[in-house]
Amino acid sequence: MGKWGLLLGGLIVWAVDFFALYAIASILPGTSFVARALAIVVTLAALAADAWLIRFAWKAAGSAGDEVDGWIARTGLAGAALSFVSVLWQGFPAILA
Amino acid sequence: MTSETGFDPELYKRFPTREERPDSEVEELDRIWEAPRGWAFLTVVNNNYIGVFYIGAAFLFFLLAGVLALLIRTQLALPLNGILSQEIYNQVFTMHGTVMMFLFAVPMMEALGILLLPQMLAARDLPFPRLSAYAFWAYFTGGLFFFASIFFALAPNSGWFMYPPLSSKIYSPGINADLWLLGIGFIEIAAIAGAIELIVGVLKTRAPGMTLARMPIFAWALLVFAGMILIAFPAIILCTLLLELERALNWPFFDAMRGGDPMLWQHLFWFFGHPDVYIIFLPAAGLISMMVAALSRTELVGYHLIVLAILATAFISFGVWSHHMFTTGMPRLSIGFFSAASMAVSIPAGIQLFAWIATFAAGKPRYNTPTLFLIGALITFVIGGLTGVMLALVPFNWQVHDTHFIVAHFHYVLIGGAVFPMFAAFYYWMGMTSRRPLSERLGKWVFWLMFTGMQITFLPMHLTGLMGMPRRVWTYLPHTDWMATNMISTVGAFVLAAGVLLFLIDLARNFRFTVRHDAGNTYGGGTLEWLRAGSYSTRSIPVVRSRQPLWDDPDLRDDVDKGRYFLPFSATGNRETIITSPVRAEPQYLQILPGPSVWPMLSAIFTAGFFLLLTIQAYWPAVFSGVLVLPCLIRWLWDTDRPVASDHADVGGGIRLPTYSTGPGSHSWWAVVSLLVVIFMIWLMTVFSWFFLYGVHTYFWAEMGEPLWLIPILGGYGAAAGLVLLGRHLLARKDSTLWSPPTQFLLAAGALMFAFAADFIGWRSAGIDPEASSQAALVMTFLAQQGQLVAVSVIMALYVAVRNARGLITRPRNVTFDVVALFLLYTAGQGAASAALTRLFPGGF
Amino acid sequence: MLEGWPPPIIDPAGPYAGPISTLTWALFAMAALVLVVVIAAMWVALFGKAQQKRRLGGTAVIWIGGIAFPVLVLTILLYFGLTLTRSLSYSIGGDEMRVRITGEMWWWRVAYLDDRRRPVIHDANELHIPVGKPVVLELESADVIHSFWVPRLSGKLDMIPGRLNMKVIQANEPGVFGGQCAEFCGGPHALMGFIVVAHPPEQFEKLMQARLSPRGATGARPAVAGAELFQSAGCAACHRIAGTNANGLAGPDLTHVGTRRTLGAGILPNNRGTMMGWIANSQAIKPGNRMPPYTMLSGEELTELAVYLEAQR
Repeated sequence: MGKWGLLLGGLIVWAVDFFALYAIASILPGTSFVARALAIVVTLAALAADAWLIRFAWKAAGSAGDEVDGWIARTGLAGAALSFVSVLWQGFPAILA
Repeated sequence: MTSETGFDPELYKRFPTREERPDSEVEELDRIWEAPRGWAFLTVVNNNYIGVFYIGAAFLFFLLAGVLALLIRTQLALPLNGILSQEIYNQVFTMHGTVMMFLFAVPMMEALGILLLPQMLAARDLPFPRLSAYAFWAYFTGGLFFFASIFFALAPNSGWFMYPPLSSKIYSPGINADLWLLGIGFIEIAAIAGAIELIVGVLKTRAPGMTLARMPIFAWALLVFAGMILIAFPAIILCTLLLELERALNWPFFDAMRGGDPMLWQHLFWFFGHPDVYIIFLPAAGLISMMVAALSRTELVGYHLIVLAILATAFISFGVWSHHMFTTGMPRLSIGFFSAASMAVSIPAGIQLFAWIATFAAGKPRYNTPTLFLIGALITFVIGGLTGVMLALVPFNWQVHDTHFIVAHFHYVLIGGAVFPMFAAFYYWMGMTSRRPLSERLGKWVFWLMFTGMQITFLPMHLTGLMGMPRRVWTYLPHTDWMATNMISTVGAFVLAAGVLLFLIDLARNFRFTVRHDAGNTYGGGTLEWLRAGSYSTRSIPVVRSRQPLWDDPDLRDDVDKGRYFLPFSATGNRETIITSPVRAEPQYLQILPGPSVWPMLSAIFTAGFFLLLTIQAYWPAVFSGVLVLPCLIRWLWDTDRPVASDHADVGGGIRLPTYSTGPGSHSWWAVVSLLVVIFMIWLMTVFSWFFLYGVHTYFWAEMGEPLWLIPILGGYGAAAGLVLLGRHLLARKDSTLWSPPTQFLLAAGALMFAFAADFIGWRSAGIDPEASSQAALVMTFLAQQGQLVAVSVIMALYVAVRNARGLITRPRNVTFDVVALFLLYTAGQGAASAALTRLFPGGF
Repeated sequence: MLEGWPPPIIDPAGPYAGPISTLTWALFAMAALVLVVVIAAMWVALFGKAQQKRRLGGTAVIWIGGIAFPVLVLTILLYFGLTLTRSLSYSIGGDEMRVRITGEMWWWRVAYLDDRRRPVIHDANELHIPVGKPVVLELESADVIHSFWVPRLSGKLDMIPGRLNMKVIQANEPGVFGGQCAEFCGGPHALMGFIVVAHPPEQFEKLMQARLSPRGATGARPAVAGAELFQSAGCAACHRIAGTNANGLAGPDLTHVGTRRTLGAGILPNNRGTMMGWIANSQAIKPGNRMPPYTMLSGEELTELAVYLEAQR
């Protein structure tokens, strides 16, 4: 399972972030301060998780035992980076919408 | 070298082996894998045949829906045209969309997977050949019946999106809508059966050494495609179920007067509907990746980024469903999140696009038909993608939503992203399944006609939309300025159709189906499907050492053919394939595959009969047909799960593998878990509906359930789970004779029935009336779902008991037993969760 | 109804459509730019010199073209998209003019509300607004989902049973602006049009005052004959004319039908001939609409009815 976690970690963070934001916007409709603040907190937490994943995958890619491990780490690294950007965008509406 | 399963990768060095292998082995393989002849040919289950049937059926629906498209375009060529009446037009455009999406696009991708996947992985067959036969027959009979409705002017007419209340009983009193709901709901079952097959196929039947990092991109795409089906399709299964219940039994899920909400449908439908676009696109993108590399005669540039793009698309596509609903008045914050996700999903598309361009640049593409189709696909897809980004911007979306601009947009996406790649694939892979390749000369004409026809049809349509012409209109008025662009679009549609017609001519002249005497590797691909193959695929199963094994090892083809790799014979005298581990593809055990059987086909036909007879309100014949499914299914399963005499077998190179396996990680375990994911998602979507309707119409909700009932209910489900675990534990102890393990299952089934009965009686005594409110209707829906699970559990427990009486439940491990144990445990869990949710929320605390 | 040229989306007439038009141009420019870049890259990949091809044939291209470039473009777009969405949202103050528009199969019920949100003027398929002032629309549905769209004034918003959606429109110039139902609502959805007429404020005030004032006896002799026929032929069962016994609520209110510019929900010009034709057999004009054909009426009777209705102003 660890390999799949490394491969999909960033994308899972994105999914958790997105559905948390969706829940916030659905339970607190409108653009109240509380909704915005919660959305920002969730976004920051997801960004932190992504940053941690990027660091972890970076190290794993450097110390990989063989071709498969290295490949999974590099792919996971790119996934975490992509997730970082998407989560960041996901946070825009909290401030701009 | 690290290992996943304890298999020593050093053993791979034994291959290719040196010794000569006798020809008698090939003869035996031929005999074992031979397809039945005469009428019995219909009972064939091997992927080489089912795959081609499946592709043929899907292509037939493509042609039929294409004819409908021509009718649409002819009607719209002139204002107030009278080719089609309003009612028939509404049926025609509904059927065009429905057939293209449900009967062509998704099945076609699944069909290509069924044909190509085992070949690409050098597996002997898919892991559940009878399941693919079932999926095919269910889809084919159901699809034909469904399509035939248009000849009786009974076809669905509320659009392929079927928004209630337009599709509710009051505004659609005829059986048109029922045909859609039951027909499509049923065809989804076939799609899910195929998806489970493909997931297990990709994860468990790859050639030894084909690690995740060496998998053909198409296999990655199919894995993700099938995973997405498991998550997305339950949403549409649930919403079709809810709407059919509303129509048939007057349960008000979407009726605002009784606490329902039409928006619930839109959420559920698009939670399926948007991922569905990527479900169609990803396998096609996988095909593009494979062909771009092969036709450029170079390695794919950015393999790992492409894999990431496929995975990322799958995830993000589940966060964009509401961009179909920007004009419904959703809260601004919510809209913003969906807008951001809709932008994010275009990054993976950009990654793939530039990876393909880079691969073209790195290699030496030639001027041939598949390459042309690929280039056409890329240009077309880019245009569709760009208008897609435009649509992600909410204010622009407010203007062009539901205009012909959208029609143009998604035809660019789907024709560029799926249809052109499909034609490229027809030309590229034809040599695998036909004696003669298709004609290059005709093929170029086909391409240029289709490509120019497509652009002429849909480029001006953007302008038609900007000029304000809405979608789904059967005509328009003469004083508008929409005529010129509409006329151009119609001309283009016929040019496009001429291209398809020419393709049919090419097909008639050159396509000659064969399994063994195929034309071969016309375009010089480097992946395993180009090994010489019969219906058992390759003579031996190679060790995979790179992504393009045929290019990197020129001797591979010959060595495989001479039986110098894994399994150059039938090790047990049965159809069999090697099961490998999911990450590193290390050989784990030998799976015995079932052969031809009439029962999957009969089960499929009776399942189809059940659903379709229901739509025409022939209730008794429907019930009869439905009851007949059961003996067919049981008869089909009865022959399976038979251990062979020796529990280990030599698979070549002196390597011995077990011939039987169960428990976590076995192919059957993965399949059941996949199925349970589907059932769980249906349940989760019901839970979503519960909270959604509560949020929309809180004042309709009341404390209805009595929490005290939870004591017997949870007690019953808890007892059932305990009994199942006890039975599983006893099976492993060979000497337990006092209480035979299947007895525990029967007791567990009894406990499930007790708990379900308590749940049901509890609600009845509370005087629940599902016609009165959406809350009550949802409670009954939870109960109905649980009732089905319990009924299946009871049948399964009886089945295990009967097999045990016949001595077919082997100890200490048994696949059937484990499968049933998983299902019973899940049933207990879902039952307990539903009972608690409906009684404790919103009241009861 | 909509006419087509110039494309209404890029021919805005009010503050809720103007910025979207600008956005549309910007988006097309963006799309054209990206398309040119992609096609140029493909051209080099296929036909370029070996050295150019080598530069393009590596992973770096994916990072630059497939990731960095889209991230940059999309970040900018997302920023503008979100801020524009926000600026287009009008927070309703409470003293704006309010109109309730109800989508029906296949026409629009229009009710002008007073400051306590009670309907005071009833009309159909036509909305009159003053130039330069925001007008709040309460969008509802009586049956299935419809979508209200007047592209020169604003984007569309759905009318959903059980829900109330609020939209604000404003015209900055006098004129007639076409609209159209944008959500498939079955049957003759294609012919469910609408118009918004923007008047200079003083003219608008006069119009509303005229409609609010009590109605006197109308018309000459044929019109009186028409009035009787309107009752006896059954028209009054579905249509209301204020100040008469006609109280039907199923169909459009005809109190001011004589002033309407269109018939059949925005699809025909309103004159005596079209009115007669519509009454005689509206099913031939708009198949499936809820009004039965009156083929039993003679030409003379049709004329009487049309004249009577013309007089309802």
